[in-house]
Amino acid sequence: MPNKEDNIRIGVFVCHCGSNIAGYLNMEELGAYVETLPHVAFAKRNLYTCSEGGINEIKKAIKEQNLNRVVVASCTPRTHEPLFRSSCAEAGLNPYLFEMVNIRDQCSWVHMQQKDDGTAKAKDLIRMGVAKAALLEPQVPIISEVAQRALVIGAGIAGMTSTLALANRGYEVVLVERGERLGGMLNQLNKLGPTMADASAFADEKVKAITAHPKITVFTKARVTEAQGFIGKYKVDIETESGVKKIDIGVIIVATGGRLLVPEGLYNYDGKKVITQLEAETLLKQGLDKGVNNVVMIQCAGGRTKERPYCSRICCQTAVKNAMLIKEQNPQARVSILYRDMQMYGVENEEMFRDSKAKGIRYIKYEPEDPPQVSDGKVSVYHSLLGRKIDLAADLVVLSTPIVSQDGAEATSQLLRVPIDDNGFFLEGHVKLRPLDFATDGVFLAGSARFPANIREAVAQGLGAASRASIPLSKGSVVVEPIISILANEDACRGCGLCVALCPYGALEIKKTDKGRKVHIIDVACKGCGVCASTCYQHALSVNSFTDDQINAQINAFLE
Amino acid sequence: MCTGRVDPALVAGAFKKGLDGLLVVGCYFGDCHYISGNFQARAKMDITRKLLKHIGVNEDRLAFRQCSSGEASVFVDIIGKFVDRIHELGPIGGGGDRLKAPEIFEKISTAQAVLGGEKIRWVIGKRTPFLESGNMYGEIFTEHEFNRAIDMIIVEETEVQEILAKLREGAQSVKDLAKALAIPTERIFRYITALKRKDMVALEKVSGRSPIFQITPQEV
Repeated sequence: MPNKEDNIRIGVFVCHCGSNIAGYLNMEELGAYVETLPHVAFAKRNLYTCSEGGINEIKKAIKEQNLNRVVVASCTPRTHEPLFRSSCAEAGLNPYLFEMVNIRDQCSWVHMQQKDDGTAKAKDLIRMGVAKAALLEPQVPIISEVAQRALVIGAGIAGMTSTLALANRGYEVVLVERGERLGGMLNQLNKLGPTMADASAFADEKVKAITAHPKITVFTKARVTEAQGFIGKYKVDIETESGVKKIDIGVIIVATGGRLLVPEGLYNYDGKKVITQLEAETLLKQGLDKGVNNVVMIQCAGGRTKERPYCSRICCQTAVKNAMLIKEQNPQARVSILYRDMQMYGVENEEMFRDSKAKGIRYIKYEPEDPPQVSDGKVSVYHSLLGRKIDLAADLVVLSTPIVSQDGAEATSQLLRVPIDDNGFFLEGHVKLRPLDFATDGVFLAGSARFPANIREAVAQGLGAASRASIPLSKGSVVVEPIISILANEDACRGCGLCVALCPYGALEIKKTDKGRKVHIIDVACKGCGVCASTCYQHALSVNSFTDDQINAQINAFLE
Repeated sequence: MCTGRVDPALVAGAFKKGLDGLLVVGCYFGDCHYISGNFQARAKMDITRKLLKHIGVNEDRLAFRQCSSGEASVFVDIIGKFVDRIHELGPIGGGGDRLKAPEIFEKISTAQAVLGGEKIRWVIGKRTPFLESGNMYGEIFTEHEFNRAIDMIIVEETEVQEILAKLREGAQSVKDLAKALAIPTERIFRYITALKRKDMVALEKVSGRSPIFQITPQEV
């Protein structure tokens, strides 16, 4: 076995986990086996290695037995690796000289009924862990400063909310809006469901607070043209009317919003008699014309099609809200909503939906294969319960079109090296676990840039993103796990850039050095996935704690 | 660490040491914990499998499957099916493979050299850029075109590595190499010319009318 040090002394702690492991594996056999493995200087079985007693035994053994590697065979590293690592550190051993073997989830749990096989597998796994441990090298966590300033891109409701939340926590915020004024789509809205709050008053209040805030710098008619760097250290160029501003930024929130689909060519859309829900909001703000007595709304207009397969989620509630407001302004009006499926999630929306039926708003289901036909003054639709086509008089037709991705979303995605999905919406780090983070550290997202969101959701997401963004800001520095890529053999690197193109995190760059073009790893941005190392044709790149030698040692130990 | 870390050369190395089956299970596409590492993993495993098949290893011995951490039953199904298949095939180099032990392990050594080598790694690495943004002339390759190129490279690289392995045993003439490796003389000659240009082999001496080639010191 290739070893850099001769005096490798590994301590192995095999945990019974009460009866979780000991109840299903032959622990005596396992304990005796561990002692026979190469470099194992000390082996011990614990009832619970994670208990205070167990931890103390690790610390004691490191000191008394002069251990320089520790292996714990127990439960999952997900929950317990940090604890064991810090125990090693407390005893003066570099925490990255620790290796964990999961004999609970992978042996005693899945092979509960097969004691012998489970025990044999545990032996294999421990042998592999020990083989790797012998080759582990000490690592030092990477600490990098975080510039105490946030950049928020987009001044819609999500962006404004994030900006205020961060500024109110005392952080400097730069808010960049490409339009002339702050507010985004909020400026065009009338009343906000389900509370029917006044949209303009709400927008004004936010804009005033932002304009007056000493911590906030607002650039309108501006755009971010360059963003180089990584979490904590972004160098951002903002093109404004008065020239390019270069600003150091710590974290970035993308709140560029979405855009309402303008249904050109659909249902005779003309913006006058056939309008969108957004145009209906404006009409309602001004007060509906007296002559409008018959209104037909068509849901999923241009949505849930082949080109846009997703449900825009908020158009149904908008339609119902506006239908109610029409009824309020003109109680005699006959309002019909033609729908495919009503997406009325949430208790309040459900209630509004019920109320709307009580107020006499009619709902007629249509099939996408047989969509409604809009002609002058009427809409005809196949009524499946009546089993025939019916004609509805229509002084006004309102099309519920989906929110589509913002113009320039792709450019923003390339600028910040964050992904967008098939529909052009920004893709969060994880749909459930990291909904407001990008996979790239230090970049966050909120509002309809992520997916169609109503005002409430945009506000909640704006607050959430601000909260996420304030974590690195308040810590002042980021500590990164050193399990990252390294240029193990600088001479071998030819600076070809093959790895740069494949890095999912933009963590690699080619730099000119005295020895020519070489790859440089931006250690704070690297997540240690290892794609670069397994790609490099010069075998110049490696991954800390997952080197070829270490993986090979495990493979060899397994196949022994 | 991601499935994208699974290095084809390590995979071949494991088979060389007697591994009977390798199953790589990654996230679903679009749901990868490391964004796109699983795409790389699949591409690498696809090419590794092709090469293993080419040299005589049953292709079912290397599989790439996907499932999410919330899908216990899917996972069990994947593992169960794979294990059953490997049991069917039996130990590597037995009845399940085109080539038998011990020749199969020599061939896998060749495959390991191919997969650790510059050419195939370069092409694997360029796969994503070639299919998505095109080569330096902006030409975008279809999957089909790419696979055809890979098939050709697999054949050629295997032969090149076999030549190098033979020359490591001692200097030889083109004719002897052709006979030993059952590769047509013209092809051997073409490879030798290319290897000479890359300074990987050199002329040792001329024996009678045949030139004898040897491996250069840096390639030993």
